[in-house]
Amino acid sequence: MSVPQGALGDRPPKPALQGAVESTAPVSRLHERQSFDPADFGVPTGREEEWRFTPLRRLRGLHTDAVPGDGKVSVEVGAAPGVIAETVERGDPRLGATYVPADRVSAQAWASFTEARVVTVPAEVESSAPTWIAVRGENAAGAAFGHLVVDVQPNARAVVVLEHTGSATYADNVELIVRDGASLAVVSLQEWADDAVHLSHHHVQLGRDAKITHTAVTLGGSVVRLAPTVRYAGPGGDAELRGLYFADAGQHLEHRLFVDHTERNCRSRVSYKGALRGQDAHAVWIGDVAIRPEATGTDTYEYNRNLVLSDGTRVDSVPNLEILTGEVVGAGHASASGRLEDQHLFYLMARGIPFEEARRLVIEGFFGELIGQIEVPELRDRITAAIERELTVAAPADERLVKADG
Amino acid sequence: MAEFARACALAELPDEGAIGVQIGDLSVAIVRAEGEVYAVHDVCSHEEVPLSEGEVYDHTVECWLHGSCFDLRTGKPTGPPATQPVATYPVKIDGDDVYVSLP
Repeated sequence: MSVPQGALGDRPPKPALQGAVESTAPVSRLHERQSFDPADFGVPTGREEEWRFTPLRRLRGLHTDAVPGDGKVSVEVGAAPGVIAETVERGDPRLGATYVPADRVSAQAWASFTEARVVTVPAEVESSAPTWIAVRGENAAGAAFGHLVVDVQPNARAVVVLEHTGSATYADNVELIVRDGASLAVVSLQEWADDAVHLSHHHVQLGRDAKITHTAVTLGGSVVRLAPTVRYAGPGGDAELRGLYFADAGQHLEHRLFVDHTERNCRSRVSYKGALRGQDAHAVWIGDVAIRPEATGTDTYEYNRNLVLSDGTRVDSVPNLEILTGEVVGAGHASASGRLEDQHLFYLMARGIPFEEARRLVIEGFFGELIGQIEVPELRDRITAAIERELTVAAPADERLVKADG
Repeated sequence: MAEFARACALAELPDEGAIGVQIGDLSVAIVRAEGEVYAVHDVCSHEEVPLSEGEVYDHTVECWLHGSCFDLRTGKPTGPPATQPVATYPVKIDGDDVYVSLP
C-alpha cells in the first residue's frame, strides 16, 4: 500500500487496523465473518448476497432463532479395511480443527450436533474399497444436525461415499482433511426424498502435494444447498470439484463453491453440470475462486453448464474469479445455460433415431463426461440409471417442452 | 375448485395496502385496492421478495426491491425486471372475514 510519506506520522497503525492492512484476503471476502456461535450471525432476511437465491421460507426455520428440534437422522459408517471409524462426543479436539463456520446455518449445525463421526485413514494406508457413510433421515418435521471429519493422513489414499437418503431437515458440516501427499476421492450423493431440506458445508483442507476429487450428485430433496470450499495448507495441492444435478418441478438445488488459493503452485478444477425440468425447478451455482498474492503458479479453471429442458425453470449461475497476482499458470471460468442443441438432435434423428430417444442420448452424453470420472464403478451405473429415471418419469401432462422457436 | 380457507379479518387490512398471511405452506398477499380485496402469491416472480411489503397503487402491488408492479386482477407484471406473472387466488368475503381459494 502506498501511503504519502508522513501521512500516518511515526505512529504505528492501531492493532485493529494492523490485521486488515496486512491481510491478503480477497476483497470479496474481507467482510466475511467466521464463528462457531450462531448468535454472531444475523438471521438471514434473504437480501444478503449469500442468501439471496435461497428460498428461506422453505428452510423450516433452520436459519432462524426458532429451530425446530427432534429430527432424527441416522449415520452409519461402513469403513473399508484399514480405515478407522469412530463416533465421538462434542469437544473432541479433532472436530472443528480445520473449519470455522461462515454462515448462520453452518454455525447452528456446529452448535447443535450431539455426536460426530471421525473417519481416519492412517498414514501410508491405501484403502482398497470405498468407505460408505450412509446418512438416512427418518422424519422431516424436526431439524437434525451432524458433523463429520474425514482425516486422510500423510501419503494415504482413500475413497469415501457419502449417501443421503430419506426425509430430513438437516444441517451439517463435513471436514475433509487431506494431509501431505495423500489423496482422497469423495462422492456425495444427495438422493433425498421429496420433502427433505438439507444445508451442508464440505470443507476441504489440502496439504502439500495432496489431491482431492470431490463429486456432488444432487438429485433429490425439496431444498438442497451444498457449499464445498477448498483451502490449501501447502504448495502443490490439487482439487477437482465436480458436480451434477437434476432439478425437477419445485426443487431448489444450490451449489456454492469457494476455492481459496492461498499457496503457490496449486491447481483447481471446478466442473458442474445440471439439467432442469418442470415448473419452478431452480438451480443455483455460485463458483468463487480467489487467487491471493502469494499463490503464484496457480492453475485454475471452473465452469458450469445447465440444460434447460422445459419452461418454468430458473437457473442462477454466477462464476466469480478474483486474481491478486499475475504470476499464474492459468485462471479462467465459464458458464452457459441453454436448451438442447437442435443440431445434435437433428444429427441423431437424421439417422433414424426417434426424437425422445435422441433427446435422452444427448442428455446422457451431457452428463456422461462427469459420470465417467467417478472413482466408484458401481456408482457410475447407479447415477446413470437415476438420471434415466429422472428423464423417463412421466412428465406432467401440462409440461411444455421448450420449443425450437422459443 | 378447492375449498376456501380463512386468510384474515377484513379489519386487519389497510384501506389501500397489503398484508402477508401464511395459509398452510403458501404465502399469500391479501391486498385491498380501491375497496376491492385481492389475493396473490406473496413472492415476487423475479426474486425472493414478499410482495405484501410493497406499495399498492393503480390496481397493482409493487415489489419494493426492483420496482416491478403486478396487476392484482391478473397477476401480470406491468414492467421489468419481472417477466412472469404471480399466481392470483379467488377471494370471498364472508361477514368480517376474508377467505381465499387455494389451488
